[in-house]
Amino acid sequence: MTPLQFEARHAAVWNELEAALEPSPRQRRGTRAADRARVAALYRAACEHLAIAESRSYPVWLIDRLGALTARGHQLVYAQRDFGIDKLRRLFGVDFPAAVRAHRLHVLIALVVFAAPLLVVGVMSYLDPGFVLSLHDAGAIDDYEKMYGDADGPIGRRTAASDWAMFGFYIRHNIGIAFQCFAGGLFFGIGSLFVVALNGALAGSVAGYLTWRGHGENFYSFVITHGAFELTGIVLAGAAGLALGHALLVPGRRSRLAALQLAARRAIVIVYGMTAMFVVAAALEAFWSSARWVPVHVKLVVGAACWIGVICYFLFQGRPGRSRS
Amino acid sequence: MPASSAASRLDTRYAAETPEGIALLLRPAGLVPRLYAYSVDVLIRVVFFSVAFVFLAMLGRLGEGLALLLFFLLEWLYPVAFELGRSGATPGKRMLGLTVVMDTGLPITPAASLTRNLLRGADFLPSLYAFGVLSMLFRRDFKRLGDIAAGTLVVHAPQTGAPAAAPPAAPARAPAVALTARAQAAIVAWAGRVARLTEARADELAEIAVPVVVPRAMGGDRVAALVGVAHWLLGRR
Repeated sequence: MTPLQFEARHAAVWNELEAALEPSPRQRRGTRAADRARVAALYRAACEHLAIAESRSYPVWLIDRLGALTARGHQLVYAQRDFGIDKLRRLFGVDFPAAVRAHRLHVLIALVVFAAPLLVVGVMSYLDPGFVLSLHDAGAIDDYEKMYGDADGPIGRRTAASDWAMFGFYIRHNIGIAFQCFAGGLFFGIGSLFVVALNGALAGSVAGYLTWRGHGENFYSFVITHGAFELTGIVLAGAAGLALGHALLVPGRRSRLAALQLAARRAIVIVYGMTAMFVVAAALEAFWSSARWVPVHVKLVVGAACWIGVICYFLFQGRPGRSRS
Repeated sequence: MPASSAASRLDTRYAAETPEGIALLLRPAGLVPRLYAYSVDVLIRVVFFSVAFVFLAMLGRLGEGLALLLFFLLEWLYPVAFELGRSGATPGKRMLGLTVVMDTGLPITPAASLTRNLLRGADFLPSLYAFGVLSMLFRRDFKRLGDIAAGTLVVHAPQTGAPAAAPPAAPARAPAVALTARAQAAIVAWAGRVARLTEARADELAEIAVPVVVPRAMGGDRVAALVGVAHWLLGRR
């Protein structure tokens, strides 16, 4: 068969596929399953024609046309359009807690790397209040003093900023740090360890200093509720980053590249969940933790309940036996 | 056609095999177009944020919070939202004809898009995307670190409706000798390009083939004679 005969015989299929691929959103949105099946059939036919054209050394323009056609058809036929509410329910009902349990080693390391500096620096700051100056400058300490002192403004605020302004700030600042913590895992996990340890040390120094100053009640009642989500979140961000670093350092029987890609696919589930936790933490921190009208003991009880809830969620949610019931 | 090692070192095309058994030829986009696309995206975001900020500033503290929220979304999720859209590319990339796909040639998945965009944090280090740029310069497929981990590829979008370069009209004539498939393909490909070549260059190339293909076409128009052979090969007899 000559190229011209080939073109004449199959041009109708190509033209139909070309028309179907033309981006016309109004029309595409209304496509039914029958249309999509038709597009898939046309696409497979075009693939076959391309293979034939290549094996017979048909003219370049013919192969180019078929190549472009199949490339665009491939994008449409294999497009994933399945992120809906069911996927989201599955993510938080099963996938996220299961992924955290699957990464228990990384979570544990991140927890130690976070908690150790927190405790050590916390105790040192409590025993030797001057020590805090090696991590913060005096102005910042002064601010903390005002924020958690017995003044009239909301707790944990430099000024009487409105709740919404602080919500925006917490989202941008905290989630940005968490994402960088995850990204730092690409450097053999060192970046993640650094971010986690630094945040542990900073939190410890403030806690130790304020306890020594006698603002412990204000401070702990402020942090306990959102801390359940925020502190867990930073540890999980570190764990996700460590999973990347671990894959690079110890790829096992895969190439480093394949191990990294697999680890990233698994760890990104933790990042989804962690991001949601930071959003919850930011909302709590902005609208609940800072409220002076809530009695301290109520905040402590709610905070404790949040901690228990978060821990139970990671321990028990989405285990195979339960998810089925 | 077996590619020589020199050609395979020069050529950045990237073949991804599909389940249908064909090879999609992806053309990874290099540093420069991606840099332009990124600049356009930054510009779009800056303009959008500035305009939004003017209105949000009227809302006082609430507006400040919403502005920070908007900043966060623009900073981290702007690329994700667009990459998962129909075009698979941010406005800047679309402007330069780039699109993001999986390195299997498949459309990008939500997980991969989020991975590559969150790992921007690593690409950016130590500053100004230094690691990302180095990674792109050292790799044939121009992946930055985020692309490596997510298994994604930034490619030049396949052009649609490529100019069907059929050879110009000429009376068909049979070749004088039997031609191999490669020789046939070369003559037809040359004939398709004649319209875009200068006359002198077309003639110069024709000179290589004419003595073998049409020995009696002396003195006449070699180019027209060879185009005629191309027509014969295509099936006009």
